[in-house]
Amino acid sequence: MNCLDYRRALLAGTGEADAMRVHRLQCAGCTAEWQEHAAFEGALRQALEVPVPEGFAERMTTVPVARRRRFLAAAATTLVAVGAGSYAWLARQDPLALACIDFVMKEEAKSIMMGAMPRAEARVALAGTLPVEVLEGVGQVRHISPCPFNGATAYHVVLAVPQGKVTLLVMPSAPMRGVRHADKEGMHAAVVATKNGSVGIVGADAAVVMSVAGAFQAYAATRSA
Amino acid sequence: MGFEDLVRTHARDLYRYAYWLARDRQQAEDVVQEALLRGWRAFPRLRERAAAKSWLFSIVRREYLRALGSAAPQTESLDTMDLPDERQELFGVEMRDALMALPASYAEPLALQLLGGFSCAEIATMIGTTEGATMTRLTRARQALKRLVAPRERAGGRT
Repeated sequence: MNCLDYRRALLAGTGEADAMRVHRLQCAGCTAEWQEHAAFEGALRQALEVPVPEGFAERMTTVPVARRRRFLAAAATTLVAVGAGSYAWLARQDPLALACIDFVMKEEAKSIMMGAMPRAEARVALAGTLPVEVLEGVGQVRHISPCPFNGATAYHVVLAVPQGKVTLLVMPSAPMRGVRHADKEGMHAAVVATKNGSVGIVGADAAVVMSVAGAFQAYAATRSA
Repeated sequence: MGFEDLVRTHARDLYRYAYWLARDRQQAEDVVQEALLRGWRAFPRLRERAAAKSWLFSIVRREYLRALGSAAPQTESLDTMDLPDERQELFGVEMRDALMALPASYAEPLALQLLGGFSCAEIATMIGTTEGATMTRLTRARQALKRLVAPRERAGGRT
């Protein structure tokens, strides 16, 4: 290790490995750099540790209890309506549904950062597959943007429904039949057919995903009737 | 460790992480509360309990980005910042100002590294980039902070 490697490693904050320590003990310049860096790191850590509201941790463990109870009651109602057998699909891992979950975990942030498309353009783009009016009938549309997905262009939608938020991937070029499902790292996905395509629904809550998928299936059934 | 123990252990750092994403105290609290509710629902299905800490941080990140879908991030004004008045903390305050000036894409990996204690590889997975790109961001973030903080020191800020 030389001085340049040592100082690069310090700046990346990866900690002082054995090889670094050996170099520092033999180099007065890097020893001085290390001492200055230690003071810098202390100040940086202190600056990052912004004051936390008093009793915050306790509030986070106790206040949401009422919301949890409301959720359990709502989820129980949904389960009765959908049928207990519906949860059998959670064990199935469809590749397209898994790709939808991977998108949420790896690509969604970038897609949101790049900004939403104008709503008028979105209305035109989705009209043939899953109209914005249908989305607005299910929840509040927070974001729509085109994105590369599964080798084609899809539309990334963030939809807020009364029970929480879900991510949609509207896929005009992926017609399908039936329902596909996946479950990965606490996220659930269902892919259902729409007019001239399909839509993937991803969320942390299986009951909410199922509920939204049901609404889109109802729309697709109406269109084909 | 049960979910409530997990929350009790990490709530403070989750709040701080959310703060450095949102730069707003109220939004940070809202994001963490919503994220923990989602986490509570999904916790029974979490297979890798050893990775629960990074899982919680990732949920906070996702929840913040979902919130971004409806509202632009707000920048906290100096009037509402809790500025310590102890003289020995002056350097830290200057550093906090410098951090506020840092783009979120650079402040975020710093927060994950120093508040969460995550490695470059773990941070890369959490923010969806490569380990090399994460190291570059961390290096540039520290270089920028040193540049921002140093002139004040030279001007006599720490006398």
